[in-house]
Amino acid sequence: MDQLKQQLKEMIVQDLNLPNVKPEDIDDKAPLFEEGLGLDSLDAVELVVLLQKRFGVQIADMEEGKVAFASIEALARFVRAQQGNISKSTDTSVFAT
Amino acid sequence: MRYVDPRFQKAVLKRLEALGHGIFYLILRIAGQPGAYALLIPVVLIYVIAGRRIHRLTSPYLRRRFPKHNLVKRRRDTFRIVHSFGQILVDRAWLGLNRSARLHCSLDGWDTILGLIGQRKGLVLLTAHVGNWQVALAHLKDLPVPVHALMHYEEEVVAKHYFDLRGESCPFRIIKTDGFLGGVVETTAAIQRGEVVTIMGDRLAGGSSATVRFLDSQVRFPAGVYRLAAATGAPIAVLLAAKTGRQSYHLRVWDVFHPSYRDRKHREADLTAWTSRFSKALEAYVTKFPYQWYNFYDFWDQ
Repeated sequence: MDQLKQQLKEMIVQDLNLPNVKPEDIDDKAPLFEEGLGLDSLDAVELVVLLQKRFGVQIADMEEGKVAFASIEALARFVRAQQGNISKSTDTSVFAT
Repeated sequence: MRYVDPRFQKAVLKRLEALGHGIFYLILRIAGQPGAYALLIPVVLIYVIAGRRIHRLTSPYLRRRFPKHNLVKRRRDTFRIVHSFGQILVDRAWLGLNRSARLHCSLDGWDTILGLIGQRKGLVLLTAHVGNWQVALAHLKDLPVPVHALMHYEEEVVAKHYFDLRGESCPFRIIKTDGFLGGVVETTAAIQRGEVVTIMGDRLAGGSSATVRFLDSQVRFPAGVYRLAAATGAPIAVLLAAKTGRQSYHLRVWDVFHPSYRDRKHREADLTAWTSRFSKALEAYVTKFPYQWYNFYDFWDQ
């Protein structure tokens, strides 16, 4: 989990182009948007796309977004859970065939 | 001068407005669309002659679109723009009252849209507050994938009202901009599923913007839509509808482009270039249909 959190922090800093922030500066429990890390709604677009490209997970709606973007810790939990679901559904389809 | 309570004035104006609407609906029922069009002429004439506010609201656009027009011509322009807006409102009401009524709509670029959807990268349909955008959106029901419309509350009310009056189900799903992060999570997810999202690209309501030339003056346009397209890899089609006759509209794809950043260093320049493409498409539209611009405020000060 710690490794995943570190990967997420590095991805945010590098790909969202945050020049004055270092991965180690990001608090695991601080909100990613507005008063926390200060990301805006358009950073959310890039973050949703990055999550799908790098981790194969999709944030489908506002409710999922609220949960996932609450903090780095929440995002890591969300990614881990989604990846678990993806591998479970893959296993099921393997058994089904 | 005798003092009149502003609340009383407001109440009277509200009653007069309601009376005006009632008269228009009555005429529409009795004399149909031509009758309401005929009534529109004296009403707009009085409005333009007696009102001062309407000139303040239309002049930022008209003096840029027709810089050489003198005061008399400017009054005529104001009449024409308000009159054409009135006709759009009459059309909406007429379609609502008469469910068998149909407007003839010609389409230019429909195959282009279908081709872009076929690429399965999602599609952003960029539109604006010109012509009759409800007509443009009504045609989206024929597309082979779900369509979403990113809308502010006022636009959502107008769109829902239009389709409710028609007794038709809304041909698109509305993504509200007042939701979490301005609806971008749903918008991005829809694009990732290869679906269509329509966005108004003209009015700036905060957020990311780019300053480009439009009608020979600098103006800030929203730029978030281009960041969305660049991040997701979705193409953008500029789709605008224009009223071309009493019962006819023309729907046309004015431009298509595929936003993709050259590199991190050029992001801002790329965003400005894509915004400029939209402003050029909009400029081409108002060159052809100068009286179908319905942003009644100082657009260059947004």
